[in-house]
Amino acid sequence: MIILFLTSGLLLGWSLGANDAANIFGSAVGSKMVSFRKAAIIASVFVISGAVIQGAGVTDTLGKLGAVNAIGGSFTVALAAAITVYLMTKFAIPVSTTQAIVGAIIGWNLFTGNSTDNKTLTQIVSTWVAGPVLGAAIAVLLYIFLKAIKKNSSIHLVRFESYIRTGLIIVGAFGAYSLGANNIANVMGVFIPAFNLQELNLGLFTLSSAQQLFLLGGLAIAAGILTYSKKVMETVGNNIMELSSEAALVAVLAQALVLFIFSSSWLSTAFVKMGLPPIPMVPVSSSQVIIGCIIGIGLYKGARNINFRILAEIAAGWIVTPIFSGILAFFSLFFIKNIFSIDVGGNDRNIIDPAAQSVTANSQISEIIQYLILSLLIAGIVAILFYYFLDRKKKIELRKSEEKFWRNLK
Amino acid sequence: MAVFTRTTKNLILKIEEFFDNIDLGLLVFREGVKAYLEKDMEAFNRHIEKAELLESNADKLQRSIENEMITHSILPQHRGEVSSLIDVLDEIIDTVKSTLNEFSIEMPDIPASLNHNFISIMEASVSAGEELIPAARAYFKSPYTVREKLLKVYYYESETDKVSRGTARIIFQEMNDMDLAHKSHLRYIIQHIENISDNAQKAADLLSAMAIKTVM
Repeated sequence: MIILFLTSGLLLGWSLGANDAANIFGSAVGSKMVSFRKAAIIASVFVISGAVIQGAGVTDTLGKLGAVNAIGGSFTVALAAAITVYLMTKFAIPVSTTQAIVGAIIGWNLFTGNSTDNKTLTQIVSTWVAGPVLGAAIAVLLYIFLKAIKKNSSIHLVRFESYIRTGLIIVGAFGAYSLGANNIANVMGVFIPAFNLQELNLGLFTLSSAQQLFLLGGLAIAAGILTYSKKVMETVGNNIMELSSEAALVAVLAQALVLFIFSSSWLSTAFVKMGLPPIPMVPVSSSQVIIGCIIGIGLYKGARNINFRILAEIAAGWIVTPIFSGILAFFSLFFIKNIFSIDVGGNDRNIIDPAAQSVTANSQISEIIQYLILSLLIAGIVAILFYYFLDRKKKIELRKSEEKFWRNLK
Repeated sequence: MAVFTRTTKNLILKIEEFFDNIDLGLLVFREGVKAYLEKDMEAFNRHIEKAELLESNADKLQRSIENEMITHSILPQHRGEVSSLIDVLDEIIDTVKSTLNEFSIEMPDIPASLNHNFISIMEASVSAGEELIPAARAYFKSPYTVREKLLKVYYYESETDKVSRGTARIIFQEMNDMDLAHKSHLRYIIQHIENISDNAQKAADLLSAMAIKTVM
């Protein structure tokens, strides 16, 4: 039953992987610079790493907005966000899981009578605007820098493209790490207060209860990337404007930097030590940041190729997504509570559902989740090895056929 | 990664070798036509053999470059244009070979008084091709300089047209003792020499558009 409650979060994670991996590797895969298989494997590994290693900071902020203190509430909030993302995607409205989950949490606050922390809300909403703007500024600076290098180095086009390809893979890995770190809060953040799993000792390191949930969420995102993102990557790569390979590299790097900035606790601490205000640890929408980056480059190049209709759709998404998700969460909580008689949480944010605590703290549940995580990790490693050897076999066959062709031609 | 770096290096070397082949082909054409006009048939035949070798080598390189670009997904955004450029450049060396072969098979009887005119047409036409090669190399290394390099290609192409028009006028209006078949044959040979600069202009047009796209 406990694991069943997690499914809504996992579904949200899956849809995040399916949609947002395209922001990182879309241009590279769409332009055939990097194969989908390579992109998907890299993105999956680094999304999981980012989620487990650096996901905590952003989750704390989301917790301040509304600490959903019952598993039934967490399930419903995540489900409302997942349905919102699904419907928005279906009607081709650019959607952000961040905005969907924030709307759903506010819906939960309204339903349970909890007050919404206005300071945190303002902080989150202001980064929705600041994220794309910052992305645009970073992208323009990086683009100017890269163009200057290209112009002054007289590097051969073939070699330059090979560097760009390597850069796209490295930056893509960084982007996936930042996506995992920043957006895992959207997927698993609402379950953290209601779950209390036993620590998982993996020999080299130990995973806390939150990290185990992040790992599960990361695996769900990875599943979304591996199973459904190919189509999205191949179709939305050049949606806003046609990107050259170097512009694609710059856009992805700028996006990764923005996501990293808003999820790095040590960077925020470093800012405080320097006497600067701390950087808010806030989940930002990777889709909107990359759109900001691409528009920044487009404006720098003269704003000739920009599809301004997309801009209007994004602005509409900023308003429609949280409102729709909030209303959906409110009514869903009503049904779950009154029809299925499931506790969805109360108005005292310090009291955490004791029943849920006792169940999730149960060692058997912890063991089941641990086995699930381990089996998924092993399956992932086996799949990666399988694809690696399949790829190698194909390359050897190709080389043999090439050699045969030239031998016959002689 | 090492495999990929090697592939990149190999492809760059092959592209450079292809350009060298076209450059050498034009040089061979110049020397071949001069040898024919000087009636040095031994040197002329040697140049034909050399042109055939260069043309065959260029064909192999062209296939290999296109193959490598596709199989290793190199230059995915420029692949079509680079292939077209190599195709047009290959037409230049094809023209070199076919024109020298026409000289060899048809043995056109060029009056000594027209030797200077034929050499001028050949020089202008070959120069258009020769000026194209640095521009094509520049596309890969410094696309900002391509357009200024192409100016000379357009200049020599129009020069070729001008000189060949003048020569045709001399043949058809001043050489009254020459029969029409002979005149037509000479005109036909001039057209073949002109084909080199025409192909160079075609490649220059393509290169110019490619350079703008890369710089933007």
